[in-house]
Amino acid sequence: MGEIRNIGVLGSGVMGSGIAAHIANAGIPVVLLDIAAEGPSERSSLASGAIARMLNSKPAPLMAEKNAKLITPGNIEDDIKLLAECDWICEAVTENVDIKRNLYARVDGVRQKGSIVTSNTSTIPLSSLLDGMPDSLKPDFAITHFFNPTRYMRLLEVVLGPDTHKRVADTLFSFADYRLGKDVVLCKDTPAFIANRIGIYWSVVAITEAMEMGLSVEEADAIVGRPMGIPKTGIFGLMDLTGIDLAPHINELMTALLPETDPFRQAYKADGEFATLITQMIGSGYTGRKGKGGFYRLISRDGERIKEARNLKTGEYHQAVKPRFDSINEARKNGLRALVEHSDKGGRYAWRVLSRVLSYAATLVPEVSNDILSIDRAMRSGYAWKRGPFELIDELGSDWFSSRLHSDGLPVPDILGIANGRTFYRERKRALQYLSLGGDYNDITPRAGSWRLVDFKRGSERIVGNRAASIWDLGDGVACLELHSKLNSINAETISMIREASKIDKRGFRALVIGNDSENFSVGANIGLALFAANTAMWPVIEQSIRGGQEALLALKYSSFPVVGAASGMALGGGCELLMHCDAIQAHSESYIGLVEFGVGLIPGWGGTKELLLRNLEKLPQQSGPMPPVAATFETISLARVSTSAAEAKGLLFLRSSDGITMNRDRVLSDAKQRALDLFTDYTPPEPRGVALPGATGCLALRLVVDGFVRSGKATAYDGVIAGALAKVVTGGETDVTLIAKEKDLLDLETEAFLHLVRKPETLDRMEHMLETGKPLRN
Amino acid sequence: MSHYQAPVRDFLFVLDEVLGVSAYGNVEGFGDVGTDLATTIIGEAAKLAEDVIAPINQMGDQQGCHFENGVVTTPSGYREAFRAYAEGGWIGVSADPDHGGQGLPHVYASVIGEMMASASLAFETYPGLISGAIEAIERHGTPEQKETYLPQLIAGKWGGTMNLTEPHCGTDLGLIKTRAEVKDDGSYSLTGTKIFITAGEHDLTENIIHLVLARIPGSPEGVRGISLFIVPKFLASGDSEGSMEVTRNNVVCSSVERKMGLKASSTCVMSFDSATGYLLGESNKGMRAMFTMMNAARLGVAIQGIGVSESAYQMASTYARERCQGRALNGPAKPNQVADPIIVHPDVRRMLLTMRAYNEGARALALWTGLQIDLSRKHPDQGTRRNASDFVALMTPVIKACFTDMGFESANLGLQCFGGHGYVSDTGIEQLVRDARITQIYEGTSGIQALDLVGRKLPAHAGRYLRSLFHPIDSFIQENGEDPELKDFVLPLAKSFARVQQATSWIVEHGMQNPEHGAAGASDYLRMLGLVALAYMWARMAKISLSQIQKGSEDRQFYEGKLDVGRFFMARILPDTSSLLSKISSGADPVMRMPSEAF
Repeated sequence: MGEIRNIGVLGSGVMGSGIAAHIANAGIPVVLLDIAAEGPSERSSLASGAIARMLNSKPAPLMAEKNAKLITPGNIEDDIKLLAECDWICEAVTENVDIKRNLYARVDGVRQKGSIVTSNTSTIPLSSLLDGMPDSLKPDFAITHFFNPTRYMRLLEVVLGPDTHKRVADTLFSFADYRLGKDVVLCKDTPAFIANRIGIYWSVVAITEAMEMGLSVEEADAIVGRPMGIPKTGIFGLMDLTGIDLAPHINELMTALLPETDPFRQAYKADGEFATLITQMIGSGYTGRKGKGGFYRLISRDGERIKEARNLKTGEYHQAVKPRFDSINEARKNGLRALVEHSDKGGRYAWRVLSRVLSYAATLVPEVSNDILSIDRAMRSGYAWKRGPFELIDELGSDWFSSRLHSDGLPVPDILGIANGRTFYRERKRALQYLSLGGDYNDITPRAGSWRLVDFKRGSERIVGNRAASIWDLGDGVACLELHSKLNSINAETISMIREASKIDKRGFRALVIGNDSENFSVGANIGLALFAANTAMWPVIEQSIRGGQEALLALKYSSFPVVGAASGMALGGGCELLMHCDAIQAHSESYIGLVEFGVGLIPGWGGTKELLLRNLEKLPQQSGPMPPVAATFETISLARVSTSAAEAKGLLFLRSSDGITMNRDRVLSDAKQRALDLFTDYTPPEPRGVALPGATGCLALRLVVDGFVRSGKATAYDGVIAGALAKVVTGGETDVTLIAKEKDLLDLETEAFLHLVRKPETLDRMEHMLETGKPLRN
Repeated sequence: MSHYQAPVRDFLFVLDEVLGVSAYGNVEGFGDVGTDLATTIIGEAAKLAEDVIAPINQMGDQQGCHFENGVVTTPSGYREAFRAYAEGGWIGVSADPDHGGQGLPHVYASVIGEMMASASLAFETYPGLISGAIEAIERHGTPEQKETYLPQLIAGKWGGTMNLTEPHCGTDLGLIKTRAEVKDDGSYSLTGTKIFITAGEHDLTENIIHLVLARIPGSPEGVRGISLFIVPKFLASGDSEGSMEVTRNNVVCSSVERKMGLKASSTCVMSFDSATGYLLGESNKGMRAMFTMMNAARLGVAIQGIGVSESAYQMASTYARERCQGRALNGPAKPNQVADPIIVHPDVRRMLLTMRAYNEGARALALWTGLQIDLSRKHPDQGTRRNASDFVALMTPVIKACFTDMGFESANLGLQCFGGHGYVSDTGIEQLVRDARITQIYEGTSGIQALDLVGRKLPAHAGRYLRSLFHPIDSFIQENGEDPELKDFVLPLAKSFARVQQATSWIVEHGMQNPEHGAAGASDYLRMLGLVALAYMWARMAKISLSQIQKGSEDRQFYEGKLDVGRFFMARILPDTSSLLSKISSGADPVMRMPSEAF
């Protein structure tokens, strides 16, 4: 297997610049080439413009601004020689086979021997890309199909040609997995590969059926969204997101590529209602979020942002209404089958869409993939479906699904006959198995080090646990504390399990990992419960929960074994505090970490203020007096800064420079476990340390700054009140620089400030607002 | 002369000393009412209640309403009493002065309401429903509708009703069937049957304005498709010359109910047969319009509970001081007589003090709630308005159920004090038992109030409504916990407060897993919350009384009485919170375990 140290990306459009940015996120230097612009001075302006745009786009393609420096802009005329240095050249130019071939010929002339060349095409078969190309290119060539936005979409479809060298395949797979964090799915050289083949069919069926049945866009999205485990954008919202103007092009291409017998050809008609509608919309500028709006649009009325939806018949917009379907309520209680069996309009629509889409996917094995696994993975990673088509059929029941298709007069795919009433997936002891085309079950064997907690949980019992958290055995003497309450918010039961975890050595373990499989590490303390306690004046309960949390996290910090936090997604408030009490953190690159208590009128009270202060004191030597680390801590907490990536979290000191970052979400726990084992050798718990803090004079200095912000209107009067309470904590309260404050003293200050603030109606209003709207209130 | 003497001193104590209403001069309506004017108004209302209305109460019960050919005749004396009531301006006492009302704050209307309920619950239903109609039209009517109806209603020339219930639905109004079809002139044609319509037909006014919930064809199903209509008994159409033509609308009373009590109040079945109606407020927003008045209406019924209880207490305490039977346990109290008055007996005192503790505590709490209604609508500060409105939302179901339960309990205790004489009709106390019973049912049964409290009010905004009661109680305990003089009050308050906090978090925690855990203990929780709120009022009243006594007040006897009754409440009533907590935390199992078929 070769190594990839330098990469060239050809084409700086949406996909090319997204790929280049993500390669830079992995810390790899990348050359980004586009065609040369006219004029002598700005020959590389297309590529350099794309890099400039990376810094302003939302969602951000770069995990840190500095990553842009890893990208060298250039143009194909003057800079093609730069590709000689590249181990991998990824082409992402316009979908025109002649342009692509022409480029390959030129690239082949300069590239080093054995370097890999791939195309990011989404529609052109590999065979036709290589048609007429030099034989030297063929063993080094493959298709690498990324999804947009590249940083965030996990799927990478790879198509290998008959001559592609195994070394090339192995190198690409491994690089994409470890360095780019992608879920790599090997595809056959068939039109649109896997995810788009099914996804495009799904979109056409979902829209056509909605129009035929007279559903509104909100109604359709409410069905082909959450209840099916599909993102809540559903279909119309997704079209707005990806751009409606892409649709005609894609649909025409699919029409050209697929045989007339393919169900897509029956579902999509170039002169049909759906095609006419979007042609009209594009013609009048309604291309989606990037245009005047699409099936939805956001408008401002009286200073309020209002979401409007388009009437599919009249083209008029009305305020979007949340549809009410009994079928959705039924589905929430009794699952997917309750949805499609319901007789209301939503239920009937759900069946008409699902029956067709799932059948279609089922007939694509073995045409597009030899196994069902790749199909399910592609839809999960490429379209963010919670469950792939075969998992959905399992949920409906394969026998039920067959007989319902049969009774509706729809064709029953062969693979359902192979299943013959059995599930497509099953668990056998610790193994997860899938049904092969031969009718036997095969084990699913994950790649080494690529696993989730669920793979350890299967067939084994937790060591100890309650409703909010559990402790599992990860083998090799490592235990895992898993949070599993709603959004992994932290409540009294979580705290009690943290205490349990801090004594895990008593059960024979030598290290602890804290992590889970969910989208978010933890969104922090359950503010609903805290607010209820405050509204009902249960102050002793609140004080107990503060002190109890502090004690549990201290016990974790000073335990006699190493503790590694496996961060991923959001780690906010209490979740961030939990991480900061670990010996080390192994963070997924997509980690959004921050102390956000200020937004709800509070300060971090579980030792988070203290820990951030200690980190700032460690980092900033106190040569220029005691204030800089204090002020830095004060700023991070009072601005409620949240990192937009793990890389940024290092700058904010939520991660230490020694903490690790893992690009692939499936490897976070594995890396964290390895880190814990590494730490175990020669482990000594941290020494408690005292700190010298400025006391009242420093507090006054911070307050003066805050008063300035309040006076100039940059902060509200109540921001000033919270900041005042925070200032007292970070400056050490009634101390002065000649005294040494212990951790306990700082924790007492946190408690006092927290209890002071939580009684104030303004804080309670902030908490309520956050709870009910998910947004901070600036009162 | 009637038995009833309005507790004017106590009203003034609550208004001036407990609630300090004079501090609200900045709130619209309060500025015009000084202490003197308030005293005058309350005194005048007291006279009306004592001298005009109370005397007709027993006769009204005996005669009942007479129904013949669609015409309802009220008992003798009712027309005269109603005329006196209307001419005194009492119907529109809190209505808009622009249409002839007095514009008094709600808190004063609550005071007057209690006196009228004490005097005659049955009589009060007639003006009471007119007030409801006035409020509905004030809040939702067009300027023309206000001009047409309000002056007549406020003057008592026209009556008012609320037509909600139908034969197949009362609590679940989403099911109503009465149809309202729009006509060419924009008015509607209503067809359907309404039952349990209080004051649906009578001879006290020349016209009756029915407010009717109905469904416009094509409206959404359920409560989101219901509209409110004005349907007058007589339709007036004027011409340009100013002469009026009056026609009888197609709404008739087809029968009146025979019932347990409240016999002088007509309870009618109303038939609408293409009756002409006019939309009040927006179409399909009828339920919302009704709910804006619900808090005030339920507070009104809660006060009826106090009114009955006060009346029962007055009868029973008079009787207990006069009726001589047996001897005091520690030796004769009246050695010169053959027997001591029964008031010497601990058990009789237990009954009387229970009633009195209910009355005075509930009066303070009801008037506090009435004041919060005013503040929620008219206070200039938005934060105060929200807090007041939270408090009203929370306390409305509590006091509606709690005070009407207490009213019925008091009437029964009062009857018990009379012994056999209470069971025969002459003493008048058995009428109170029968009359009081309906208050626990109409405007939403006690069970519905409990569900409203536990299912809606408690979880709303993560317990924010509770804050409006719990935080003041918590502060009071913090501020007065160290005062040795107050320990008989603050200590029991603190204990019961801790219990209600515990019960609240039990319900929240367990109710989230299974709503039946909350519902099974809902009535107990409501009672508990009511008792703790009463304890808070008693502790506040005790604090004021102690300070008055220390200051050497001339009215020492009044304040000492307060302390005695307050101590009784703390020692003999409040401890119920302990058993209520046990019941609540037994959860759904004891009530849900037995299968329905086994009943």
